[in-house]
Amino acid sequence: MPDNWGYVAAAYALAALMLGAYWRHLVRRAAALARPRPAPRSQGRARP
Amino acid sequence: MIRMLGWLAALALGAGLVMAFGVAPREVIQGNVQRIMYLHVPTAIVGEYVAFGVLLVASIAYLATRAEAMDRLGHASAEVGVLFLAITIASGSIWGKPTWGTWWTWDARLTTVTILLAIGIAYLLLRGMIEDRERAARSAAVVGVVAALNVPLVHFSVYWWRTLHQPPSLLKPGAPSVSTSILVALLVNVAAFALLYAYFVAKRVRLLRREAEALA
Repeated sequence: MPDNWGYVAAAYALAALMLGAYWRHLVRRAAALARPRPAPRSQGRARP
Repeated sequence: MIRMLGWLAALALGAGLVMAFGVAPREVIQGNVQRIMYLHVPTAIVGEYVAFGVLLVASIAYLATRAEAMDRLGHASAEVGVLFLAITIASGSIWGKPTWGTWWTWDARLTTVTILLAIGIAYLLLRGMIEDRERAARSAAVVGVVAALNVPLVHFSVYWWRTLHQPPSLLKPGAPSVSTSILVALLVNVAAFALLYAYFVAKRVRLLRREAEALA
């Protein structure tokens, strides 16, 4: 049977992409949570 | 601690790649395409048995105690389990094309594992659909138990029905039906993906706790 290296590369590349995307998603969410939240807006009248 | 777990997982994954491509022999019948097994089987073992096993325990513990930590653990484990199962199905499909001649077939193992993935996705969607956090956690825990009860069906599907998918080589009674060099490479990769699972779950649990604190 031929070695089909292309299929092997595709499987590992796809897995790396999926795992990397999830890790990046976690890191970004953690960074967003660590940022100080903006103060709530005052209820005063808006300027024209 | 979590960062160290991440480095440990990265090192183990590196070692797993060396074992899969440098140490494990070329399989006699399938050739080098069989090396997909070192990705497919570990993600299946960790994604199905470990992630959904933890989901089952955490869901039952949450239903019994209403401890939020258990809810967060179940949530994180389900999320990482769904990710690993998606990789299992994708890599299996890529492996299936050159060996079975098709990307997909409604074989019993493939069908049951797809149902497991669908229940895992439903679990995650359900959490986002219910606004009341306590009710969402309770409903999700029930779905978590149902999802985990599907795991034995996935495992025994290759024995109960005639399937294209081979029976287990590792998780079966008696000695594993693979050579020692292949077995060692496989076990290193199972350990690597188990560490990666632990790292992702720990990171996700911490995020969920911080999100809850930010909302409170």
